[in-house]
Amino acid sequence: MIDRRKFLTTVALGTASAAFLSACGQSSSSSGQTGSADNPVSITYTWWGNDDRAERTRKAIALFESKNPDIKVNGNFSDFAGYWQKRATEAAGGGLPDVMQWDLSYLRDYGQRNQLLDLGTVKINTDAFEKSLLPSGQIRGKTYGIPTSTNAFAVYYDPAKLASLGIAEPDGSWNYKEFNAFLAEVGAKGNGTLFGGTDYTGIWWNFNIWLRQNNIKAFTDEGKLGFSKDDLKKWWNLTADLRGTGAIVGEDKATQLLPKSPFGSNVTATEVTWDNFMAGYLADSGAKELKLVPVPSDDPDNLGLFLKPSMLMVASAKTKYKDAAARFIDFMVNDPEVGQIFKTSRGVPASKTQRDGTTFEGTDKLVVDYEKSIEKYLKDAPEPPIVGFGTLESTFKRVTQDLNYGKLTVDGAVDAWFKEAEDLIKQNA
Amino acid sequence: MTQSPTLSRRTASAPSQPRKSRRRGPDARAGYTFLLPWLLGFIALTVGPMISSLYLSFTNYNLFDAPKWIGFDNYTTLFQDERFLQSVGVTLQYVVFGTPLKLAAALAIAMLLNSKRKGQGFYRSAFYAPSLIGASVSIAIVWKAMFGDSGPVDQGLSFFGINLGGWVGNPNMTMGMMILLTVWQFGAPMVIFLAGLKQIPTDLYEAASMDGAGPVRKFLNITWPMLSPVIFFNLLMETIHAFQIFASAYIISNGEGGPAGSTLFYTLYLYLRGFSDFRMGYASAMAWLLVIVVGIITLIFFKTSKSWVHYSGDSK
Repeated sequence: MIDRRKFLTTVALGTASAAFLSACGQSSSSSGQTGSADNPVSITYTWWGNDDRAERTRKAIALFESKNPDIKVNGNFSDFAGYWQKRATEAAGGGLPDVMQWDLSYLRDYGQRNQLLDLGTVKINTDAFEKSLLPSGQIRGKTYGIPTSTNAFAVYYDPAKLASLGIAEPDGSWNYKEFNAFLAEVGAKGNGTLFGGTDYTGIWWNFNIWLRQNNIKAFTDEGKLGFSKDDLKKWWNLTADLRGTGAIVGEDKATQLLPKSPFGSNVTATEVTWDNFMAGYLADSGAKELKLVPVPSDDPDNLGLFLKPSMLMVASAKTKYKDAAARFIDFMVNDPEVGQIFKTSRGVPASKTQRDGTTFEGTDKLVVDYEKSIEKYLKDAPEPPIVGFGTLESTFKRVTQDLNYGKLTVDGAVDAWFKEAEDLIKQNA
Repeated sequence: MTQSPTLSRRTASAPSQPRKSRRRGPDARAGYTFLLPWLLGFIALTVGPMISSLYLSFTNYNLFDAPKWIGFDNYTTLFQDERFLQSVGVTLQYVVFGTPLKLAAALAIAMLLNSKRKGQGFYRSAFYAPSLIGASVSIAIVWKAMFGDSGPVDQGLSFFGINLGGWVGNPNMTMGMMILLTVWQFGAPMVIFLAGLKQIPTDLYEAASMDGAGPVRKFLNITWPMLSPVIFFNLLMETIHAFQIFASAYIISNGEGGPAGSTLFYTLYLYLRGFSDFRMGYASAMAWLLVIVVGIITLIFFKTSKSWVHYSGDSK
């Protein structure tokens, strides 16, 4: 007869060791730098975006695989906010995907900390790119990201809504005073149901453009702030008289509309933001037509505008398949057929080869036309923002929200933001 | 978690309980072997990370670079961080108001459900249901819709001439909304109260009735003292629980703690510091401060409990 205790001990030990062994068995390593059609290498690719982008990306991947039978691409995506939390934990564990869609705000955080591959060491064709655009993917002479496409800042408006209030459509040649007056007029005639816009001073990039209009650099080359508290005070005071009136939609309303924007929810007549949001706004608001005009400027010859890479392609510094990763990036940024798949949903294609191979119609054409119309005002794209920029950007927005809630004065808001910014710059020094 | 062994220890040490003779040896070995997978997991997944987070709390770890020792810097900067202080204020407000209200609701419902009536089983399940689904993501989303502009709550109140507008976007109302959400999830303490109420011998109430005691008198002199160990247990657990509120605040405020920082709970700020700002050292310091503070509060609860918690078998 088997002793009961012995039996129990054996069973328990067996279970434990089986679990242990199976855990060990998973760490078999793969080998080989390049693949062949019979034995393709697999690279991982991740991006943020909605279902629409997922569908387009899948098509692009299928096309790439059919043209490159020696490489298989495993795709994976999430929404923007969750995207960065995932990348942070992956980077900490040394397991970033081989190729990633990237945002300018986070380029320094990862590039400067040696998480991204120097794309200058691999073969990617950048002949068809505007020379002014490429530096935005570079840090200290190394290329960490290749822009897929560009976007520019613009004022959106809904012509139907303006017509219903009897307000003439703007032509975009306005200074800040005129823009404010326009917002106030919409607010007054909108009578509590339609607001002029959101508080445009709450968006970092808009502030950055205003600084450029005044010939001030946002960041110095040493990674410090290039502007003073007084500059920021002036900026936040621009809409001081508008806050709490119909010209600006209240934060209490805007908060509840999330994740949709007030403009996408038909609560405001205008919005100041990136031009590649067009498709999203059209879908959200159901509007028949939306138009784009340039941002206001007190200097009519200097609009401070620039083309920003709406997204970049990067590779992990630890990828085992540098060659395959480079070929995939090259394909995604240069191939004309990829342009046909994405249209302007990633922004206007940055590579001329891809742009010329794409036919733009309807709303896609509007965005392309807008970027053409501001061509003469465009200046060099800004350098990749400082480390921790993502936090500064969100703090900028949060502090402006507190301004709109009346929880902070402009002076208090400036102090709060500078404290956070200086603390962050010190942390990352 | 830390609570129940202590309760049973006190009960066990009462003289009426005979002590079982120890039978260690092969049985224990089998027991420990069965425990082994769990124990390994506990050490590798809980104790290990806790110790490393203690170390990281003294560093400037940012997820990428090797952590650099900075001593107590994280802990000292915490108290100059206005958002940190705000998060402490918000959390304390929630704990101080939310927990007693939740327990009061739980006790009141438990007493209603303790009477013998037809269909009590159904009512008990029905009242417990919110707690089963309450912690889930979907409820926080529903809550957000209910308390929005022209949501059911706004419309209901407007019907009575109270025009507050949406609660979700109003920094002065969000705390009330969060407290209502937790009060509504009274099921878990209610079930424990119900079990405790059933333990109270009915003859005590009968005797009191004979002596002409009213319901208030009976509650104060019988129910409260007889139930005090259970009340103590619930109070402790719910307080600890309230300090850890995260999911509902994260969802209702889109992970930002807004509007105007009114739902910036301690754990939410910790999370934002760690995973949005990459300041893991700072976040670890916050985590350990929370552990210490909750530990101290638990200790204070135990000290004061001597004066109001009565255990059966106590001579007092």
